[in-house]
Amino acid sequence: MKTTPLHPLHVAAGARLVDFAGWEMPVQYREGILAEHLATRRGAGLFDVSHMGRFEISGRGAVPFLRRVLSNDAALLTPGQSHYTLIPTATGGALDDAWLYRVTEERWLLVVNAANREADWACLQRDAAAGGGVLLKDVTEGTAMVSIQGPACESLLQPLLDGALPPPRRNTCTTADFQGRASLVGRTGYTGEPLGFEVVLPAARVADLWTRLTAAGATPVGLGARDTLRLEAGLPLFGHELGLAPDGSEIPILASPATRFGVALTAGHGEFVGREALAAQAAAIASLQAGGPGDPAALPKRVYCLALADRGIARAGAEVVAAGRLAGHVTSGTMVPYWEPDAGRPGTVSRLRALALAYLHAGLRGGSVVTVHVRERALAARVVERFINSRTGPYAVPVLS
Amino acid sequence: MRRIATSHEWARLDGDLVSVGTVAFDKKQLGDIVYLELPKAGATSTVGQPFGEIESVKAASELFAPVDGVVVAVHGELADDLDSLKEDPYGKGWMIRIKPSKPAQLDDLMTEAQYDDFVKTL
Repeated sequence: MKTTPLHPLHVAAGARLVDFAGWEMPVQYREGILAEHLATRRGAGLFDVSHMGRFEISGRGAVPFLRRVLSNDAALLTPGQSHYTLIPTATGGALDDAWLYRVTEERWLLVVNAANREADWACLQRDAAAGGGVLLKDVTEGTAMVSIQGPACESLLQPLLDGALPPPRRNTCTTADFQGRASLVGRTGYTGEPLGFEVVLPAARVADLWTRLTAAGATPVGLGARDTLRLEAGLPLFGHELGLAPDGSEIPILASPATRFGVALTAGHGEFVGREALAAQAAAIASLQAGGPGDPAALPKRVYCLALADRGIARAGAEVVAAGRLAGHVTSGTMVPYWEPDAGRPGTVSRLRALALAYLHAGLRGGSVVTVHVRERALAARVVERFINSRTGPYAVPVLS
Repeated sequence: MRRIATSHEWARLDGDLVSVGTVAFDKKQLGDIVYLELPKAGATSTVGQPFGEIESVKAASELFAPVDGVVVAVHGELADDLDSLKEDPYGKGWMIRIKPSKPAQLDDLMTEAQYDDFVKTL
C-alpha cells in the first residue's frame, strides 16, 4: 500500500489506519472522529491530504486545454486565484471533481481525488496529446499537501511562513516560503469553515510543518471527521453524490447544489466536454425554480440535504419515500456532532444530530418531510437548505431545525 | 459471574434475570458510539438473534441476544448517556434484562479469561 510522507507521524500519534484508494491513511486519531470534528469547528483541524492527485499543467496550450476538459472556465482565473471545477463526461456526469489553482501566469495545479488519479490522468493525457502545446506532470509523489481548517488556523499557520498568506478573499492562493522552500498556499478547503488553508510543499518538508502546527495547537483530523465535516457543509463526495448512482446511472453534475460554482456556461467559455448536457441540466434547474416541470431526462433527481427528525441514522443506500412513493436513496449520512451555539460562537455543550444527503426526485421542495427507511423503521426527515451557515464567519454556525 | 459472547455482548445472572450489555467499545475498536437502538420490554429474546443496534460514526453493528427468554427491562436512558457504554459498560452501561427460559445457555458463553484470549486472536 502507498503511504504519505506523514505516515510515521500518524502511526506515532496512535492513528487507526485504513486502506483508502490504495493509500494507508488515518481514519481517526486517539480522540476519535467526534472530537476531531468539534476541534475543527472551534479551533483548527489539520488534515493530511497528500494522497490526493496533483497534476502540474503548463505550456502555451494550457489555457485552451483546461477550458476544453474542465467544466469551469480556467480563463476566469488570474495568477493567485483558484476555483472548484469538474472533469465532465460527454454526457454531463463527473469523471471527477477537482480544484484548479493558477499558481503563476503559465503554471497551474489541478488537485484530484486519489481514487480517480489514474483515470483522470489518462483522460487529460489523451486530450493534451490531441491539442498540443501542453505539458502535464504528475507531481503527487514529490510533493505533499496538508489542509488546516477552522477559526484558529490563520494564527497557527502565518508565523511558520516567510511571506504573506493569500489575501482574505474567496479561493485566493499565493506562494510563500516554508523553511526556504516555495510552497503553494490556497485559501481553500473541504469543511465549510469560513477560514481554511491548503498547503502544497516539497514532500521532504511536510513532516516539519505538521509537527510545528500540531505543537502550536492544531488537532490532527483523519478521514472519518473529514467526511462528517464535508457532509455537514453539504459538499459532494465523488462516489456518493458524484459519479455513478448505485443503479449504474450517471449522476448529473448539477444535481448537487455545490457544483454550480464549478460549472461555467457563459458564452465566453466556448465549447467544452459535456457542455450541451450541462446546459440542459442548468435549464432544468431554472425551470424547477420558476415552478415549472424541470426536465426529467436531463435531471431526473437532485441531491438534497436531509435533517432527521426521528431518532436514528440514515446511511448511504437507505430508501427515501416522499408523498407515498419511492423518491430515491441516501447517498451519505451519519450522526454529526456540533457545538450548541452561544451568541453566534461555539458554546461549551456538544450534541449530535443525524444528517444525510440524498439523491431524490428533482421536484421536491425545501421544507418537505420525507421518510427514510432504516431496517424496519420509518424515520421522518426534513428537506433543508443547509446544515451550517459559513457566510458570516469566523465560525461555521449550525442551522438547527 | 460475567460471561461474554463472541459478538462481544456480556451477560450476567442477577437474581433470576440475565443482565446484558456490550464490551464492544473497548474490544472491537468501534469508535465513538453515536446511536443505540434497544428493543421494547416484552420482546422475545432468541439466542444468537439481534435484539438491537449500536452505531458508530462509520458503521452500524447488531447486538445479539445471549440467551432465550423475554426482555423484561430496558435501559431507556442509555440512549442519552452513551458515554456509559465506554466508561461503565458492566454497570450503568447495562442494556436489557432478560427473564431466561434456559438459564443454562449462559454456560455456552466464554468466561472473561477465555474472552481475553479470544480477543487476541481477532
